[in-house]
Amino acid sequence: MKRSLILLTVVSLLMLAATAGATEIDFWAMTNAPSDQHYAWMNEKAAEFEAETGIKVNFEEIGWGEIMTRAANAIITGEGAHVFQLGTTQNPYFAGTGGLVEIDIDEFGGADSFFEANLESTTLNGKNYGIPWFAETRALFYNTEMLKKAGVEPPNTYLELVEVGQKIVEVYGKGTAIATAGTNAWDLIHNWAIILWAYGGDMLNPDNTAAAFNSEAGVKAMNYWVNLVATGLADEACAEYNQPQADAAFINGDAAMCFMGPWNIAGIEADNPDLPYDIVQPPAGPFGRASFSGGSNLVIRSNASKDEIKAAKAWVEFLLRPDILADYTKNLSKFLPSNKEALEDPYYETGVWATFVKTLGYATAYPPLVEWGEIEGTVQTNFGNVLADYVDGKYDQNSAQNYLDTAAAEVNEILGN
Amino acid sequence: MKKYRSLAYLFILPAVVAMIFVHIVPMAWGIMISFRDLNVFNIRDWTTAPFVGLDNYKKGFNPVTTIGQRFWQSVYNNLVFGFFTISIGFVIAMGVALLLNQPFYGRTFVRGLILIPYITPDVVVYNFWRFIFQARIGIFNEMLLKLGIIQERVIWLVGSNTIWTAIIAAIWKGWPFGALILLAGLQTIPTELYEAAKIDGANWWQRFRYVTIPFLQPVIKTLMIMNILWNFHAYNQFRVLFGDDPGRYAEVPSTLIMREAFNFFRYGLGSALSVILMLIMLAITLIYLSLFKVRVVE
Repeated sequence: MKRSLILLTVVSLLMLAATAGATEIDFWAMTNAPSDQHYAWMNEKAAEFEAETGIKVNFEEIGWGEIMTRAANAIITGEGAHVFQLGTTQNPYFAGTGGLVEIDIDEFGGADSFFEANLESTTLNGKNYGIPWFAETRALFYNTEMLKKAGVEPPNTYLELVEVGQKIVEVYGKGTAIATAGTNAWDLIHNWAIILWAYGGDMLNPDNTAAAFNSEAGVKAMNYWVNLVATGLADEACAEYNQPQADAAFINGDAAMCFMGPWNIAGIEADNPDLPYDIVQPPAGPFGRASFSGGSNLVIRSNASKDEIKAAKAWVEFLLRPDILADYTKNLSKFLPSNKEALEDPYYETGVWATFVKTLGYATAYPPLVEWGEIEGTVQTNFGNVLADYVDGKYDQNSAQNYLDTAAAEVNEILGN
Repeated sequence: MKKYRSLAYLFILPAVVAMIFVHIVPMAWGIMISFRDLNVFNIRDWTTAPFVGLDNYKKGFNPVTTIGQRFWQSVYNNLVFGFFTISIGFVIAMGVALLLNQPFYGRTFVRGLILIPYITPDVVVYNFWRFIFQARIGIFNEMLLKLGIIQERVIWLVGSNTIWTAIIAAIWKGWPFGALILLAGLQTIPTELYEAAKIDGANWWQRFRYVTIPFLQPVIKTLMIMNILWNFHAYNQFRVLFGDDPGRYAEVPSTLIMREAFNFFRYGLGSALSVILMLIMLAITLIYLSLFKVRVVE
């Protein structure tokens, strides 16, 4: 009897351990908010989730610079997060590895619950491999005081931006009109794409089989970007900036305008809460206004066990509940919820948020391609060469076309042409 | 005798086993995958990665291909970087070693002090230099402007100046190690030799040329070969100063290989480029060793 009891206890403990193992998942998210607040929020929500479901979630924050390698390692080795955040442009790439669980979007409220551009970023060959978490887009931030002193209104078109910039430079000096990112910024391509689209260009041809960015619109957009520095509207040092440096120039009050995203509002509140600023939609080009649609999705590793995948889906559902998502985006990360219901919160109809929501309505996403990371890297390298030529005094009217043609040839090779 | 030899083999066995697993196996695997189109899509079962023969090598070697152009440009940049970093760093190291070999109050403290740049982690040092070289707020431009050397701020972190930025920062970081090694060599030279040379009427330069240099030769040769090999491993300074993509003027093989293999996940191509780099280093080392007959123990 005693032996049976011991055996039963051991078996029960083993079963308990097995169950406990299946209901513990690891979750990686990027630095979407100041770390201490981010961990506090996630740990609080993980505790709520555990109380509700019995599933324990271990949260770890990963830098944007490390996620590609960490996610690749997790997918290859089966070690690491069961559910993690990926940028919208990274999602198709990892879907192509076969390392992500195919998602039935109806389990998460259906396709109509999300913004089209964000939902599209989770797809590869028409199937979903992620769930949109939050969205972001770029708008033009401006320093209300500097523009007022210069006697100008925020620009409506790219031509007006130059005129407004010149007035600001007259009052505040060379390089004070706008802060732009340079060779060190991954956002460089996004900022250029905004102008490219407004000038009627596109990154790839309609069936995404060949480069299209070396068009006249692409050249005009690149020349426009370089001329911001060359004509003294932006500081020459912008050529070496990364995006946070460009953001900081605006936030510190050294530059009157900057293309930035909603997350920068958290930066302003933290670093210079007295900054007199407002935002407007990106200026219009000859083909109207355009902006970049980015954001992040939540994905589930396919080599996790069935129980872990089930637990991961439950955690994603929990994070996407409108009240929880709105709390995360409103009070912590300052992104826009990708879930339309969460975005119905009246908060997003006020102030700068109304502008971001309006911009998001027409913002463009990059094509959901496995090769997108390589394409982006290639364009980035050649854009860097354009800026390097400018710095070395070798930039002429053919430079942009030559480098864009070089990039296009490389991109076509990547696309298998 | 045979028993002692067996014992000796036994003693070195752990080191040999460790070396096989830490060095030889990864190298062999690296060489093996350099013949395959291994990427993130097939790495979960790398045996399914298609065998592509010498394709990856052809891409790397051929200066007509984009990757070939970048690779050879990066090798050229590395040679320029190495030439200036090693030569200028050596002159500074020798000067400081000679000074520190003189008796003066606080010499031990100063010997410790000069090591600060060398012992400070690369990331910290090169981040400092990144700040120093910033065009708008960096103190390097401020200093040059105040001295009247430049009239307008110079962009150091983009364009053709980038290689000089890396060279200056790397010299600052690297010379203390050379100084330390040379100082150790200087201290092995018997003082009687200098005294005898002085009595024979040799001036400072003659004492340096005919006593110091010949005695330091083994140390200098070893220091040089170490510097040459380390130079081809240069990565941290370029990555921290200029980011993932240092641009064509400051691209070195390590940054290119890192980007190809771990940013674009072209593991096969990255491995082939690594093997090519290893062969270049091997050739340089063999030429150096045969020219200068370096012996580790003199």
